[in-house]
This record gives sequence, structure tokens and C-alpha cells, in this order.
Amino acid sequence: MANPFNTGVTALLTYQRSLTTTGHNISNANTPGYSRQRVALETQIPERLGFGYIGGGVKIQGVERLNNQFLTLQLQQQTAESSRLQTFLGLTGQVDNLVADDQGGLSPSMQRFFGSLQDVANEPGSVAARQVLLSDAQGLIDRFGFFDGQLDGMSQDINQRMVTLTDTINSIATNIATLNESIVASNSGTNTAAPNDLLDQRDQLITDLSELVAVSTIDESSGARNVFVGNGQILVFGTDARQLTTIQDPENFSQFNIAYVTPAGNQDITALLAGGELGGLLDFRHEVLNPSRSELGRIAMVLSSTFNSQHESGLDLNGLVGTDFFNTPAPNVITNLNNTGSATVTATVTDYTSLTTSDYRLSYDGVNYTLTRLSDNSSVSGPGPLTMDGLSVAIGVGAANGDSFIVQPTQNGAGTISLAINNVNNFSAAGLVRTSADLSNLGSAEITFNQVLNASDPDVFDTVEIVFNNPPTTFDVLNITDASTIASGVGYLSGADIDVNGVRVNISGAAEAGDTFILQQNSNATNDNRNALALARLQTGLFVNGTATYEGAFAALVGRVGTQARQSEINGAAQRDLLNQIQTRRDEVSGVNLDEEAADLLRFQQAYEAAAQVIAVADNLFETLLGAVRR
Amino acid sequence: MRISTEAFFRQFTQSLQNQQTSVAKLQEQISYGRKIITPADDPVGAARTVNISQTIGRIEQFIRNGSYAEQRLGVEETTLSSVTNLLQRVRELAVKASNIGAQSSETFTAVKTELEQNFKELLNLANTRDSTGEYLFSGFQGQTKPFVETPAGVQFNGDQGQLQLQIGTSKNVAVSDSGYELFLNIKNGNGKFFTTSSSTNTGNAVLAPGSVIDNTAFAAEDFTISFTSATTYDVINNTSGATVTSGATYTENAAIIFNGLQVSINGQPQTGDEFYVRASRNQDMFSMLESFISTMGSYPDNTADRAQTQQAMQAALQNIDQALNHIIVSRAEVGARRNSIETSNEENEAVAFELTRNLSEIRDLDYAEAISTLQYQLTSLEAAEKSFAVIQRLSLFDFIR
Repeated sequence: MANPFNTGVTALLTYQRSLTTTGHNISNANTPGYSRQRVALETQIPERLGFGYIGGGVKIQGVERLNNQFLTLQLQQQTAESSRLQTFLGLTGQVDNLVADDQGGLSPSMQRFFGSLQDVANEPGSVAARQVLLSDAQGLIDRFGFFDGQLDGMSQDINQRMVTLTDTINSIATNIATLNESIVASNSGTNTAAPNDLLDQRDQLITDLSELVAVSTIDESSGARNVFVGNGQILVFGTDARQLTTIQDPENFSQFNIAYVTPAGNQDITALLAGGELGGLLDFRHEVLNPSRSELGRIAMVLSSTFNSQHESGLDLNGLVGTDFFNTPAPNVITNLNNTGSATVTATVTDYTSLTTSDYRLSYDGVNYTLTRLSDNSSVSGPGPLTMDGLSVAIGVGAANGDSFIVQPTQNGAGTISLAINNVNNFSAAGLVRTSADLSNLGSAEITFNQVLNASDPDVFDTVEIVFNNPPTTFDVLNITDASTIASGVGYLSGADIDVNGVRVNISGAAEAGDTFILQQNSNATNDNRNALALARLQTGLFVNGTATYEGAFAALVGRVGTQARQSEINGAAQRDLLNQIQTRRDEVSGVNLDEEAADLLRFQQAYEAAAQVIAVADNLFETLLGAVRR
Repeated sequence: MRISTEAFFRQFTQSLQNQQTSVAKLQEQISYGRKIITPADDPVGAARTVNISQTIGRIEQFIRNGSYAEQRLGVEETTLSSVTNLLQRVRELAVKASNIGAQSSETFTAVKTELEQNFKELLNLANTRDSTGEYLFSGFQGQTKPFVETPAGVQFNGDQGQLQLQIGTSKNVAVSDSGYELFLNIKNGNGKFFTTSSSTNTGNAVLAPGSVIDNTAFAAEDFTISFTSATTYDVINNTSGATVTSGATYTENAAIIFNGLQVSINGQPQTGDEFYVRASRNQDMFSMLESFISTMGSYPDNTADRAQTQQAMQAALQNIDQALNHIIVSRAEVGARRNSIETSNEENEAVAFELTRNLSEIRDLDYAEAISTLQYQLTSLEAAEKSFAVIQRLSLFDFIR
């Protein structure tokens, strides 16, 4: 039966609950992921009397959670992207800083090396100048090593971070599964009220997870939320959490991959993962770290091979043909851990100027081998050996269908280049041979040395005479050392190339019959710098990819890393703004405003006081009635 | 629009952070004096900076090479100048001694003694070493003494190598000359041919030096003017064996023309006397001096000997003129190279200056602009902080008492 007393009591209780909820809101004003709650009120079922309905007070319909699931979802997605960009930017910034230093960069060392080479050319016999050259060469190698070491260190850091990240992802997945269990339980039976705070916690956990890796979710009717990573790999299914783990990359032993643990074994899902800190790490490794290392390696290898080849076309201070100046790094071949065959593969570089910075995959289909350039997936096939981009790959016997190998032509270049000579006398500054005109020559023709074509020609050091016939329109080429005729009656054309015993010379001007020119071993040539000059000229040669100088290639690397850093800075800033905007929109719906709660406090307090007053009045009425009866 | 209390604080801290980041970035740029701190600040500029710095480094090395080259050529020029002075003195002696009538056995001996001194001095000059102890004129074989006196004359042990230094991207300059070029590769006579006579001549005639009058008709071949009588002569081409002129009548001092050249004979030849016109050979400076010295060995006491001496003196004078000319030309070439180095260095310095300016434009900070931007950013940062301080004080709770 409706009476003011009962009506007042419903209001009292209702406003007490409202005040409690307001207090809850105020308490959680700074709780991440908290959605403000509101007590929804409705009137009690009225009492029907003959003249109409009498209201019976107020009752609580439920406690609402003010939340827009769409915004929460967006927030999670943008969090993943933002976190990816921040991670990518942070790491790229490190590389950016590494190459930025114009005193500690590669170029000053390179310039010093070529500068001291010029100094040797200035004083080819000076032991001091040669010593400085060797020191500066070592300095340059150390610089390559320093960069490679830094990049390698970053690669190891990434491995460590991947281990930590998978652990964290697994533990969050377990927590989500536990929450799912609680939420499903709270939904069961007759209780259909939403467990607001649990839902908030679960949303927040998924947001936290998104910071680590991008996920997708699907809700079940039971209230459980399923979480997927990568390409639909289940991370949380109902109340069950699955695990991720790190494994050694079967195609690159020095780096880790992420695998999905299944009863059948680990499934490598690295390529499928995107977003979050993990996505940022993988993107950085793939887009910045490995390409930068390969580019540095390529510069080192091209420098080493071109320098060596010229160095071997000259004579050192001992009068011996130059040997390797640098130890040229060799391509790295990785046999896939999952191979079933026993074949081994060797890769050699046949043309350093064609080298790319890409890695290559060699795969076997049981009949043919296919060599694929991983940067753009173009390939060559055949029974082997295969050649591509200046790289020759030879395959041993025993390969099984499905076997694969990874060839990294330049990845290790910067880390493994070293100095091959340690004695200053072994630097070959002098030309292989020297030319002279016979004193009795009547004509005014002159001979000039052009270049060494083949320093390993067995007769390169034989004394050769070029003797003009009568009339002097032809000449004979005689090997004096072994008294043989190399050529006779060769037509004379002033300035034309004359190639003899691996050496090219030119004779120009008017020759007379009997004029003789001599080529001979360049012994005791302490004051000859022809080879040093040729070596110095390499600095401006376009050898890297046939299009860039050594330093130009490094400058391009600086530009590329700079662009990547700048691009991720810009994208990062835009993403931060976007995330901020979505956060604000979510807070617009779900966030606690303390002023609003303060007003609510007053509102509910006053309502509570009024309800108390209703009870007081009812009491008064009762007292009045009692008083009347007592009399 | 609702603003949650947390969002209000978050937005403020975020904008504060953004502003502080800009201020810190600017502060870093100001303290470095650079626009580009890392390549990300301007990737294209950073790559160009690397390239330009490298070019500057290379050009500076070229300038360094240039001064080194200049220094080396300076040493060579000094040496060549001494050689010139020496040859001029020898020439004076030759001119003086040519007037045989005014000489005597004693003066001949005096000249010979001085010439022997000059010979030794020339040998010393030809064996000059540079500051690093390398021989200047031995070609590539810096440690090999180029000129060595042997019983058969002075022998050249060097080679024809020439050291070049790089003083520009595609510019080399020779900084040495081989002793072969300087001291050996000298055409004797008048540069085309030289005249001499048989040592068995009995007449007192001397074949004058002569000259080429028709370059197209001239061939580098050897000829003999052979007197068949005191008044007639034949001209025979020794190279081909052909007789050029037969039975020509001799007139003293008259022009004898063949093979595009013109010579004349002075004095009275005798039957059987032979005179030779030979294509110029390369003759070294030392043997030129040596034959001059041997000519000064004895004063001629008869007309036939006097004619021989006259002929030899004439050859010596001609050769010394050739040698002198050769050295002067070489010196001029060294001078030209030094000029070219100077020009190159000036060019290089100008380019380096220009590149440094470019580099500065790309990389260096405009302080005025940076400081005014900083001022502006600090002002807006301060405004944000002040407004926050004012607004955050407003809370409804303060009014519920």
C-alpha cells in the first residue's frame, strides 16, 4: 500500500545508491579505461485505486556504464598504430643519430684514407706517408666495424625486446581469459546486469595489448571476447588463452621470430604480425636496420674489391706485384634450419659493382633451383649454378625438395672487412712496368704508359721492344727476354692502344725507321706513384651499383635513413594527434568530470534530504493521528 | 561537449610537452649553430652535406698536393737555373776559344781546366737530391744515382719516368723531369743536322753549320761531301747510297744546296777531303762537354789541325747552344707548370670557398630567425602555463562548503 513513509524510504535508498555511484565515479576519475557510471531511475509501479493511480516512489532500474564500444575499438586500433610508429621512430632515430655525426661518420674516415693515399702519391718512397696510409686504412675499417657493431647491437636489443614483449603479451592474454571467465559467470543465471567494472578492465587490457601488437576482437553471446593476432591466430578464445613464443629465425640465425604455439608445434607468424611495439620492431628491422647494414656492407665490399684489384696492378717498395690490400668479406649463406637435404651452397661475388643490398633466397623444387631477390621477388631458375646481380651461387649435391637457403651478399661486409697488409713496403704505389724511348731515336714519337690490363700475365715483366720498320708505317713487337717476336708489321696509328703482355701503352707522334721503344719491369721504382694515383682516382669512380662513389653511396644511406626518420616523425605526430582526438572523444562519453560529479553530489544530497523530509512529514502525520486518538 | 577532468589535464600536459619539444629542438639547434642536427631534420640537405663535405675534403687535398708540387718544382727550377748559368759560362768559353788565332796553348789549357770543373759541377747538378733524399732526375728510381762517370763516359742509370701529382679532379701535373729528358734527349748540331769533317782531311777547309731552307724537302738522312779534286766535289747520300751531286765545282763560301738544306765550305779543301752532313742525333750534355774538353786538349799547330779544331769548336758551340736552349725550354715548362698549379690552387680555393658557403647555407642556422622563433615559442609556452594555472583553480568542490 502506497504511503508517504514507504515512498520516502524508496527515495532514501535510491539516492544513497546514487551518491555511492557518484563517489565511485569520483574515486575512479583517474583510473585508465574507467567509464563513468550512472544510476538509472524509474518510478515504482503505481497503485491503482478507483480514481486512478497513486505513485509509489522511485526505484533503481540499473547502473549504466556510459561507454561507446565503437570508440573503444578505434582507440585500441589507433593505440596499436601509434605505438608502432613510436617504436619505429625511436629506433630509426638512433640510426639517424648514428649516421648524423659528421665528425664521427664514415665520410671523414674515408676522406682521411684517400687523403693519405694522395700523400703517398706525393712522396711514394716515404715510409712515414705509407705508415699514415695504413693507419688511416685501419681507421676506416674501424669505422665500418663501429657502425656494424652499433647496428648489430640494435639487432640484439630487438631480440631481447621481442622476448619481453611475447612474455607480456602472454600474461595479458591470460588476464583477459580470466576476465572473460568472470564476465561469463556474472552473466549466467537470472542475473543479467552488466559487470561494468570488469568490462572496463577488459577493454583496458585489450588497449594495453594493442600497445604491444595489433589485435582484432570478436564478442561472443556469452559475453566473452575473443582476441586474435596476426592473420586470425587465436590469442584468447573464451576463457582459454594461447601463447606466443620467440624462435630463432630459420633463415637468419642471429635474429628472432615470433611463433604461435600450437599442439602441432610452433607456427612462425612473424610475417603476419603488424602494429604495436612488436610491429614497430619488426618494421624497423626489415625496413631500416637490415638494409642499412647491407648498404654499409656493400660499400665496404665494393671498396675492398675495387681497391684490391687496382692495388694488384702495381709494384710495392720491394718490387713485387701488389697483393690484397683489404681482406674482402665473403657473402653469407644460411642453410634453412628446416632443410631436410644435405646440400651445401657457396656464394661468390663475380662482379662487385653489380651487387645489390638485397638478400636472396635459393629454393629447390626437386628439379630446379630458383634464386629470388627478396627486395622485389624477381628470380632466375635453373639446375645451377645460378648467377644474378654479380652473385654466383654454386650448389652441392644432396638437396631435398623444398629445401631453401638464404644468401646475404653484403650483410656482414662492414663487420668483417679487414686490412690484409701490415708492412708499409707492401703498399704498391708504383706502376708495373716502365716505358722508354731509345736515345738513338730520330723521330719525335713518344711512348706513354696507359694502364695495366692483366697484372698476372706471365710475361708482364719481360722486356719488350717496339721497333719501327722502314718505312715507319709499321712496327714489330719483340720480346727481348725470351727472344721471341710477339707481333710484326703492326700498322702504326699515332695514339692507338698497343696491348702487350697485359699492359697497354700508347705511341704518338712522328716515328722514324729504326726508332725503338722499350717496356720493362719497373724495378727500384721508389719514386713512382702511378698506381697510387690510380688508387686515389677510385675515390671518384662510380662503383657502388655502378652508379655511385663509395662516399656517394654513404650519403644516399644518410639521406634514406633521414627520410625514414623524418617520415615516421611526421606520421608519428599525426598519429599522436589522431589518438589524442579519439581519446578525447572517448572521454567525452566515458570520462569523469569532477565538476559534474560535484553537482550530482549536491543534487543527490538534496534529494536525499528531501526524501528524509518526506519520512519526517509521514511521521508527523502519524503522530497527529496518534495524538487525536489518544485524546 | 563534455570534457572529462582527466582529458583536461592530459591535453594540457600534451600541449605543454609539444611546446617544450619545439623549444628544446630550437635550443639544440642554437647551441650547435646548425639547422640540421640529424639527417631527419632535412634528409636531402643532410645527404648533400655529406657529398659537399667530401668534395671540400678532396679539394683541400688537391690544394695540399698543389703546394707540394710547387715545392718540388721549385727545387727543380733552382737546379735548372744553376745548369743554365753553367752552360752560359761554357758558351762564353766556347765563343772565346773559337777565335783560335787569338788563343795559345796556355789559354787552351786554362779553358780546359775550367771546363773540367764545369763538367764535374754539371754532374753534381744532374745528381741533385730532394729533401727526402731521392734523386731529382733519376725518373722512377728515386734511390738510384742517375748519372755515373765511367771510362766510356757518363752513364745514365735512371729511367724516363715522370712523377705526376693530382691537383684537380681530372688534372695531373708533372712534378719531375727525368734526367733522360733534361740531359740526354738533346738533338745535336742545329737540331736538324750537324756538320763535321774527316779527321784525315789535309786541306784547311771548314764546313760551316748551315741551315735547313726547305723543311718539306729535308729528310733526316746522312750525306758526305767528298772532294774528287781541290775544285770539284760529289755529294753522296749515305743512308740510301745514292749520289746526289756529281762533279760540282767548288767555290769558297758558296752555298751548297741539297736535301732542303744549305751549307757552305770555308777555306781550301784538298783532293780526298771529306765533309759530313748528318741528321741530328740525340746527344747527352756530358758527351758534348767531353768532346769540347778533348778539343781543348791540344792547341793546333798546323793549318789542317787548325781546320779540324775549328770544325770541332763550331760543333761544340752549336751543341752548347742546343743544350742551353733545351734547358731554357725545360725551365720554361717547369715555370708553366708552376703557373698552372697556382691557377689550379686559386680555382680550387675559390671552389672550396663557394662549397663551404653552400654547406653553411644548407646546414647552418640563421641565428636571428632562430632566436626570434624561440622568443615566440617561449611566450606561447608561458601563456599556456599561466592560463592553465588560472583555469585549474576553478573547481566546484571549492564552493561546496
